[in-house]
Amino acid sequence: MTLSVQHLWLIPALPLLAAAIGALTPSGGRTLAASAAIAAMVAAFVLSCCALVAALADPTANLTYNFTWFDLGTGAVRLGWLLNPLTAFMCVMVTFVGTLIFVFSLGYMHDDENFTRFFCFLSLFAAAMLGIVVSNSLLFLFVSWELVGLASYLLIGFWFQKPEAAAAAKKAFITTRIGDLGLLLGMVWLYHARGTLLFFDGGAGVLEPASLTALMVSTLSCGLAVSTAISLLIFCGAVGKSGQFPLHVWLPDAMEGPTPVSALIHAATMVAAGVFLIARIYPLMEADYHHHNLPIHALTVVAFIGAITALMGALIAVAQNDIKRVLAFSTVSQLGFMMLAIGVGSWVAAIFHLLTHAFFKALLFLGAGSVIHAAHHEQDMRKLGGLSGPMRVTFLTFAVGMMALAGVPFLFSGFWSKEAILHAAHAWDVSHIPLYFGLTAVVLTAFYMTRLVAETFFGKPRSHAAGLAHENPAVMTVPLVILAACAILLSLLAWPTPWLQHQLDPQAHTEPGGLSLMMLSIVLVALGLGAGWALYGRLLRTNASAPDPLAAALPRLHAFLAARMMFDELYAATFGRLSNGLAALADGLDRYVWGGLVNLVARLGQFGGLVNREADEDGLNAGFDAVSRKVRSVGQIYSRAQTGETHGYLRVIALGFVVLVLLVMLGGVR
Amino acid sequence: MNTLQLCLLISSALFCIGLAGALSRTNTILVLLGIELMLNAANLNFIAFWRFNPAPLPATGVIFVIFAIAVAAAEAAVGLALVIAIYRHQQNIRLQDATRLKG
Amino acid sequence: MSPDYLELLHALMPEAALVIGALVVLGFDLVVAKRDTLEERMNSSVTIGALSIVAALWHTVRAGAFGPAFGGVLNFDHLAVAARGGVLVLALLTLLLSAGTAHARHGAEYVAVILFATVGFTLMAAAQQLLLAFLALELASLSLYVLAGFDKSRPASAEAGLKYFLFGGMAAAFLLFGFSLIYGLTGSIELPQIAAQLAHQGMSPLLVVALVMVLVAFGFKASAAPFHLWAPDVYEGAPVSSAALIASASKLAGFTLFTRLLWPGFGIVAGIAPTAHVWAGWVPVVLLLSGSSLFIGNLGALAQTNVRRLLAYSAIAHAGALLLGVVVAGRAGPGPLFYYAATYGLATVGAFGVIGVVAKAGACQKITDLAGLHRRSPLLAGCLMIFILSLAGVPPLAGFFGKFAVFAAALQLGGLASPVGWLVFLAIAFSAVALYYYLVILKQALVTAPAADASRIAVPAPAAITLAAAALMLLLFGIFPSLLLGMF
Repeated sequence: MTLSVQHLWLIPALPLLAAAIGALTPSGGRTLAASAAIAAMVAAFVLSCCALVAALADPTANLTYNFTWFDLGTGAVRLGWLLNPLTAFMCVMVTFVGTLIFVFSLGYMHDDENFTRFFCFLSLFAAAMLGIVVSNSLLFLFVSWELVGLASYLLIGFWFQKPEAAAAAKKAFITTRIGDLGLLLGMVWLYHARGTLLFFDGGAGVLEPASLTALMVSTLSCGLAVSTAISLLIFCGAVGKSGQFPLHVWLPDAMEGPTPVSALIHAATMVAAGVFLIARIYPLMEADYHHHNLPIHALTVVAFIGAITALMGALIAVAQNDIKRVLAFSTVSQLGFMMLAIGVGSWVAAIFHLLTHAFFKALLFLGAGSVIHAAHHEQDMRKLGGLSGPMRVTFLTFAVGMMALAGVPFLFSGFWSKEAILHAAHAWDVSHIPLYFGLTAVVLTAFYMTRLVAETFFGKPRSHAAGLAHENPAVMTVPLVILAACAILLSLLAWPTPWLQHQLDPQAHTEPGGLSLMMLSIVLVALGLGAGWALYGRLLRTNASAPDPLAAALPRLHAFLAARMMFDELYAATFGRLSNGLAALADGLDRYVWGGLVNLVARLGQFGGLVNREADEDGLNAGFDAVSRKVRSVGQIYSRAQTGETHGYLRVIALGFVVLVLLVMLGGVR
Repeated sequence: MNTLQLCLLISSALFCIGLAGALSRTNTILVLLGIELMLNAANLNFIAFWRFNPAPLPATGVIFVIFAIAVAAAEAAVGLALVIAIYRHQQNIRLQDATRLKG
Repeated sequence: MSPDYLELLHALMPEAALVIGALVVLGFDLVVAKRDTLEERMNSSVTIGALSIVAALWHTVRAGAFGPAFGGVLNFDHLAVAARGGVLVLALLTLLLSAGTAHARHGAEYVAVILFATVGFTLMAAAQQLLLAFLALELASLSLYVLAGFDKSRPASAEAGLKYFLFGGMAAAFLLFGFSLIYGLTGSIELPQIAAQLAHQGMSPLLVVALVMVLVAFGFKASAAPFHLWAPDVYEGAPVSSAALIASASKLAGFTLFTRLLWPGFGIVAGIAPTAHVWAGWVPVVLLLSGSSLFIGNLGALAQTNVRRLLAYSAIAHAGALLLGVVVAGRAGPGPLFYYAATYGLATVGAFGVIGVVAKAGACQKITDLAGLHRRSPLLAGCLMIFILSLAGVPPLAGFFGKFAVFAAALQLGGLASPVGWLVFLAIAFSAVALYYYLVILKQALVTAPAADASRIAVPAPAAITLAAAALMLLLFGIFPSLLLGMF
């Protein structure tokens, strides 16, 4: 059975319907809301499988269905659905992992009073993500993209009683919106340049050769091709959403949400959206690649941002103590790997890693959730320990996920996808720096994952809560087992033949993998595992306050990493300083120009009291706090011009009139 | 200087006097008077343009002025009502004292 | 051309319905309902008023666009019909919201003045002659002054009314003086003749003065910086439903009137060329106002702790984007501008409506007064979320597509490397700042726990239905923008 492209909209529509049902259900109707959400996800999964069958019938075709949405004076805005193997694989992955997470949530959120609301938000989130995937139009993609952001705001802040959760939600929304500004700007520019936002439209779409040539040929005054500029602007959106350096600061804080949310956000959906977006518009990203007179290529930027993120995330993860934060930074690092893969020209490897990562990272998060649930919300791994006995299933599945993430050879899917990326990086002819960054990250990944497992599951329980832990009910463990099986079975996508790569991009010429590179990475993984075991596994921690061996050896580096490389502080210092300057400038303007010229407008003195006005600061942490306070103080200077004196207001009319007349006159009357 | 220019000069002067009054008087009613003066300056313009136009025109200028005077009257009525409302609260009609709303 | 009064009556059926409605409201209250309680009298007045607006709406829709009427004094083109429909809907929403929220004393007068203001708005939407434009504008303005100062018991309301009046009176004097100069320069008060005359006269210093005078009044009506100073005080002090009317229908009507004045009337002297370095013309002035509004509106909003003042600064910021839409209207037609103004009006009426309902249960001035709204009334919190997110321009709500339509059309005008392009860039950059202050409101409403003494809010049925309808419309127009854009 196949699903034709006209009906592709059903896939996101079903979870949306479930979200509507959830929204209208009173909080007593727990069964209705949850069963609607899960049924919708299962149905969407079945439809996705049908779509996959349809897409694989001819992997080279981009099946589209476009329609006019509305007329905009100068042209119509059209939307559409797009079905190709990329779409289909993503749909299957999102719906499958989503279903498992939904089932897991049944158990995890069982005691929460806002159970129905939670499933409503989850469904909305899944619907928006599927909307991104099936869209054939950058505009519709953007709409879904923003909905994903909104749903994540609602989900991360779900436990709004926790002030950190509310702050984290706000930080996530605002940080990703900063990236989205670039995306919006790139989108509007693209629309301006091409008059359409459809990806594929029978030769007229923006990702088709005619458009790409036009975008590449025209250059800006600074020497950039228009396609480069637009690509980089759109990439800004992906940087925000996928937690790439330097906008990664929101992602670890997003851990404040319920754990299934972390799994959904970090594994299957939100963070994958950025990588998916860049893979989707890959022809545009690549358009300038063969144009040699350009100062910079879009993909080069992507590759380096990805490489930096991969290394940075892995480094920071080494020094974290909270289970979920380690996993969060490992996500940052793995997303960097994916971006790196796209940057070096292999979006296929990126998508392969995205798919395998979705499964094993969901597995790891749900496993962590299982641990946290059993240990009465204790997340500090120094206070856990000894869980391998009482939590057998969780331990074994978690170990599978850990080995997949660490890239233990042959049996685990993570190995093959990571190998594909390293291979592509090796073949890149621009620079080998990303490859070295990637290899370093591989060692570190194996190292910190070994530490995580050793500290959490081995030795003796180091707190009362950990001692009482016991295995969770089947509703939580069965998804773990299924995900663990997938983390292994997905190896079949790449081995013995690179089937997935071939389906995604039949033209891609896959050379036989360099055996020496594979041997090198296996050695590196072994090195990481061995180092981790030597430091944390051999001499098990005996109590929660025992010093960390790494911290003892390299105290300053460890402290730096533990403070997450001081990014929040850095932002506080730089942007805070910048807006300080801005405020001083505005203050000077206020005092001398505005004040001198318009002294007749307003007596400013009486409003000094306003400056110290404090409001609503409880949320954001140091960096954001400082920036927003500074920006707000700029605002206060403007609001001080509002003296409340009617005469001042009236004088501004007269003054404004005179100034405008003078400006027009001086501008020259023909 | 012909008569039209003279009229325009007078109306401009009237406009500026009205503006100066509106911007400087503390008494709200006098501010109101200033604004009325500005309106009347515009009315003078209309009449002058109509009267001294080289080509004979329909009486649009005059009609405009009649309507404008009616509007000015209505405006005065509303304005005085608001002045009374202010007086009930602050026991005077000093414009400088009406600064409750600000920021 | 002999004036055909029957044709005029036919064309002005909606206005007639409104005026008759207002008189019936007053008479009914005076004669029939004088023994009822204040609450009942208010309700019957609102009912009659709402019926007359619905009748006017029906006439407007039925008549459709039939071109110039009454010798070209009025022009019922697509923009006029859409704008008349828009202001009528917004006025209807305001009226229904005032049923449950406004102070009940002198309810009939309040409703009647709202209806008179609406007559002014609908005439503004169709006026094509300077005299009618001035009269319509003044009818609307005078009614709004009264509405702003209506709550005699509160000093803030009287002060807001007085400030609004003085600022508006000054702007009206500028407008009239500008009109008189235009009359002198072109010998006509009909827009088509003015345009024809200007076509071979070109720009002159006197015309510059006249244009800027007109733009001062426009800036006042649009609350564009630097002519925005009245807005925060009036939004804060005026009764809630008056503020809602000032922020929504009055804006829509004002933008329609001045777009008609500027493009068909003075389009010759627009001084287009957002790319060329020519300053002569009104487009550069409007761009200047737009930029300063974006700047002052967004930054000023950051410092606010009063939710109504915050909405006022957000209105100033939106005025910046709307002015961009006015510049765009010359090329892309008024569609994007109308879509933006109408959906902005809906969101603002809704936000003020929520504030009004909350204010009835206790004070609602500070942003913190909204704390825990999701517990006190989930309906209000949900509606407020839609209104605020639409104001912030989050898709798929209508606010996003208004922005998108205006910005896309603006970039078609001159690309990124032109003043218009820079303004688009500024506007998009400021939308991140804007999100911050909108989230401050939402955080209070959706996340913060209610104050200890806060009780559940009982939402009166008409207000609940109106708010839900407004929220639904925002969602609907966001998902199907062609419902509005298709009218042009």
